[in-house]
Amino acid sequence: MAAAPEVGTILHFPRHVKYWRRNLKTHLPTYYTENDTNRMMLAFFTLSAEEILGDLDAALSPEERQGYIDWIYHCQLPEGGFRSSPATDLGTARDDKNAVWDPPELSGTFGALLSLAILGDDLQRVKRKGILRWLSAMQRPDGSFGQILEDYGRPPEGGYDPRFCYMAAGIRWILRSNVEGPVEGVPDIDVDKLVQCIRERETYNGGIAAAPFREAHAGYTSCAISALSLVDRLPLQSSQPPDTRLRGLTKPHLTLRWLVSRQTLTLDNDDAIDTHGEEASLSATYCSGSPPSDSAIPELPWVGINGRCCKIADTCYSYYVCTSLHILGHLDLVNAKPIRRWLLDRTQHLVLGGFGKTPGDYPDILHAYLGLFTLALFGEPGLRPVWAPLSISQRVKEHIESLPWRKQVASYA
Amino acid sequence: MTKFYHDDPAWADIEPIPQDDTGHPLVAIAYTAEYSEAMGYLRAVMARNEHSERVLALTEHVIGINPAHYTVWLYRARTLEHLSIPPSDELRWLNPIALSHLKNYQIWNHRQAIVDRRDSCEGEADFIAQMLDQDAKNYHVWSYRQWMVERFGLWRDVGEVAFAEEMIGRDVRNNSAWNHRFFVLFGGRKKGQAGEGEEEGKEEEEKEKEKELVQREIEYAKQAIRQAPQSQSAWDYLRAVLRHAHLPISTIAGFANEYNDVSPPRSLHALEAQLEIYAEQNKVDEARSTLEALAEFDPVRKPYWTYRQKELVVA
Repeated sequence: MAAAPEVGTILHFPRHVKYWRRNLKTHLPTYYTENDTNRMMLAFFTLSAEEILGDLDAALSPEERQGYIDWIYHCQLPEGGFRSSPATDLGTARDDKNAVWDPPELSGTFGALLSLAILGDDLQRVKRKGILRWLSAMQRPDGSFGQILEDYGRPPEGGYDPRFCYMAAGIRWILRSNVEGPVEGVPDIDVDKLVQCIRERETYNGGIAAAPFREAHAGYTSCAISALSLVDRLPLQSSQPPDTRLRGLTKPHLTLRWLVSRQTLTLDNDDAIDTHGEEASLSATYCSGSPPSDSAIPELPWVGINGRCCKIADTCYSYYVCTSLHILGHLDLVNAKPIRRWLLDRTQHLVLGGFGKTPGDYPDILHAYLGLFTLALFGEPGLRPVWAPLSISQRVKEHIESLPWRKQVASYA
Repeated sequence: MTKFYHDDPAWADIEPIPQDDTGHPLVAIAYTAEYSEAMGYLRAVMARNEHSERVLALTEHVIGINPAHYTVWLYRARTLEHLSIPPSDELRWLNPIALSHLKNYQIWNHRQAIVDRRDSCEGEADFIAQMLDQDAKNYHVWSYRQWMVERFGLWRDVGEVAFAEEMIGRDVRNNSAWNHRFFVLFGGRKKGQAGEGEEEGKEEEEKEKEKELVQREIEYAKQAIRQAPQSQSAWDYLRAVLRHAHLPISTIAGFANEYNDVSPPRSLHALEAQLEIYAEQNKVDEARSTLEALAEFDPVRKPYWTYRQKELVVA
């Protein structure tokens, strides 16, 4: 096997800046219409990418920055919480009877708070208590969270999977740090139940699934691990004093093994055919049938990351697997260099910038952001340091922690 | 076919509510005129809480363009209830939509609510099979099937086991199918539930049956591994069955060795099983040399095997 050329394996910085500025400043193409009700998350990815590239300040005039902040606040609802998009805004026709069709939504609220923080806002106009009361009402008896609440009294609508646990834990962390119990007269979510909900979703091979006994999936695994980290309920390190709090990841060694086993040499559908779909942890040297003549095995050119057992690699899973490992303190257990080369040589778009899902794909906002974030996690030169649990820059995390009202809340711990 | 409302007399009484995206909107999308207009009419009927036949048609239109719209599905569900539309009619409508939006999550959530209300899963297995013909590892479809098993109590149902078997037969690396097999055979009962309130003799009988089942599944997994020694799914399943039955991993020592008696080994997963057997038996030296072999033959996970070597020293 020939070693991949290191020449050309670079992050094409100006092209990524161009890609993200275009997303920020011009209309997204029509095919994003199926993400119309997901705009707040697209906004977050776009602003956060610009922040991580270090281009946000240069890209925005003071007027634009204020304009974006105002646009986000315009998506805040009178009762607290944010809609995900102006698409549901009923305007002046909105009243108590029809507000159900224009509700606050979990990812909208999560994305709005993060976007405001990236833009440097102090979150003073956020209806914090309203959001926190709503968050508690969105938690179901099994510990999971809904996406929207039709009305207080009916069960929350939406899935039962760890994505919603993650966003709820993120909103809680932003608005009240990880203080447990009531704060300023507002009750906390039930953190024990949240942890229990995640424990029940751990699977037989160590990954985490959408619901109990479903298939292990890297996206849900990442959401679960980030959520546990945000509520400070990951397994204790041996150096930490034991306590009696319920913690998640009941079999952390199995989870680590599952995460590192997501590395694969099956990078596209052709590879899957070449190897007869053979599980790709099989070494390339082994595939060729020629065992290495000595112990000096050449370095692997590319290593991709998949989201489930026996599937092909996909850029977004580099993020889900690597943030999980990073949070668990074990990012060193994957092949950083070949993973970096896979992203830069194979899924980076050399003309448009950004990253696609698999080699040859056009970039899209989700994959472009997650690929960039993975590189930042590995400390790619030129990118700002990042904070994995909320997938934001370290600088934005520190900005949130520095806000006077939040310092006040955090002092109740 | 493009559909507009402003020139349709059936909608003349509705004043659409345009989208308020003024100021400095973030990530504005280049909507088509058709979508913009349909959304304007949707907001207007939602504001009136209108639940009518024409509203059903409008929700269908919007769902066709943006199936991820979270309140339009809820609005449609409430409209169906209001009009007392039979669940079977709605399922008939839903089938082609699901087939053309394989990765959409809301569709399955909606389907689940409709089938729950209908209180029967008749025909669902056939529809699922049709979906899996297009995408055999579709996460939403498998999740939905598992919900169906839970909702209608199909645990250890002959049909469910046969279905998992058929899917594994088609592709031994279909991890979703392996997971389904584990779920229907071992996922249905919570701890302490088995044999509860039953006579003692029956409890013994149950235990015996359980033992036979575990044995059968171990053999089943081994058979699959013989076809594809590198299939991680089958190995994971085998080890999960052992763990579930509280059997030591040395139970499969002989089997693992069939793949490890050559160099390079014929299966890295067999070599890994060998490692766990040594670890279980506290054979540190043997475990160390197995880890060295894994680091050599499994370069993709080399940093992990190196870490395990360090852990071994610490332990």
